[in-house]
Amino acid sequence: MRRGGGSHQRCLGLTPTPPPPCVQPCCRPLCYEQSERRLHKSLQMKMEEMSLSGLDNSKLEAIAQEIYADLVEDSCLGFCFEVHRAVKCGYFFLDDTDPDSMKDFEIVDQPGLDIFGQVFNQWKSKECVCPNCSRSIAASRFAPHLEKCLGMGRNSSRIANRRIANSNNMNKSESDQEDNDDINDNDWSYGSEKKAKKRKSDKNPNSPRRSKSLKHKNGELSNSDPFKYNNSTGISYETLGPEELRSLLTTQCGVISEHTKKMCTRSLRCPQHTDEQRRAVRIYFLGPSAVLPEVESSLDNDSFDMTDSQALISRLQWDGSSDLSPSDSGSSKTSENQGWGLGTNSSESRKTKKKKSHLSLVGTASGLGSNKKKKPKPPAPPTPSIYDDIN
Amino acid sequence: MVVSKMNKDVQVRAAINQTLIEKLEKENSSELLRAKLIECGWKDQLKAHCKEVIKEKGLEHVTVDDLVAEVTPKGRALVPASVKKELLQRTRTFLAQHASL
Repeated sequence: MRRGGGSHQRCLGLTPTPPPPCVQPCCRPLCYEQSERRLHKSLQMKMEEMSLSGLDNSKLEAIAQEIYADLVEDSCLGFCFEVHRAVKCGYFFLDDTDPDSMKDFEIVDQPGLDIFGQVFNQWKSKECVCPNCSRSIAASRFAPHLEKCLGMGRNSSRIANRRIANSNNMNKSESDQEDNDDINDNDWSYGSEKKAKKRKSDKNPNSPRRSKSLKHKNGELSNSDPFKYNNSTGISYETLGPEELRSLLTTQCGVISEHTKKMCTRSLRCPQHTDEQRRAVRIYFLGPSAVLPEVESSLDNDSFDMTDSQALISRLQWDGSSDLSPSDSGSSKTSENQGWGLGTNSSESRKTKKKKSHLSLVGTASGLGSNKKKKPKPPAPPTPSIYDDIN
Repeated sequence: MVVSKMNKDVQVRAAINQTLIEKLEKENSSELLRAKLIECGWKDQLKAHCKEVIKEKGLEHVTVDDLVAEVTPKGRALVPASVKKELLQRTRTFLAQHASL
């Protein structure tokens, strides 16, 4: 090993060429020079290689194959090391299952069973006994039944709240006795029969399933008095004051069902009852001058089509109570009427200003009646059919 | 002298860069290959083969050399053609790109 200037020869460990004589005492530039020279040489060699391979395609291919082989060898070796370590550490065979368990958990491929071997609708026909009412209930209906039966769950509390609100309303309306004597007398006589019948027919007054009623009422919470509002389809009207009655009748069908002696709470267009029935109910409650609420809405509308109304008027001549008595409509209803008016205005062109033709709006507006609550549909006029029959 | 040094500098840098790029490429290729082999089930096949070998030789006496001797040729053979093709293509592309200095 030739020693040139500086002690860095040792650290580098190479002397292919004698280093140039260096004047400076610091040897850093020397190291740099030497490493530089080495790199330069390797670079030259590389560049020669590159240019070579650039020319020779087969060599290029050979190099590519070599590189590929290297990579595969790498992977194999890596795999071997993994396995060997697993063997020596003892976890190589851990993921194996013994043949007995293998048989147990084999995939099942029979008709009517799933891959675990379970039957499809095994629980459909099973019945459970309710611990509360000791009835045998179908398994799939058991959970909802339990909810109602125990009186817990979202729906049950809703129903209970409603009942409380009803009874509160009832109590409240009973206190307005002064103006409503007549009505109340009628109601009471009618209602007592109704109550007796109702009591017999009720299965369980406290069962939460009852009562879809009184969604329209302004509920106020107070002590519950559930026995008057057990039926799910209607309202018992005997405890309503005239104002409430009127408001009810403007929004609901109101026809009194024969079985339950309750007012129908469905919309003014409810298909179970005819308009004739509805009018009869209103006349019964509010006097002969009362008319269906849609009729009164015409008062507020100015954009009526006259021509159609004429035809309707002729059809409706038989009806005596065609005159609208504005006093009856009263202030309590005007707001509702205006609402009706707006509704009718927008969707129906067959309207009339004339008083006689007000009843023509019965059928059409009954369709419109639903507009207020549900999505506005073009009301298919049932009027012609109904009145044709009557005529 | 300064100019030549600067040139050398540049060249040195270029060379280093090139090496680094190649190394990176090799690393990437290697990882890619490993992922593909697992995907195509090569590893599981080889593992099953290993199990047999080990059962033959006995769990206690397995050595790395044994394993390598047994496994490597089989491993090389089991590589699916598609994987081989793809890898070769990748290498060729790389060489074509970076060979023309």
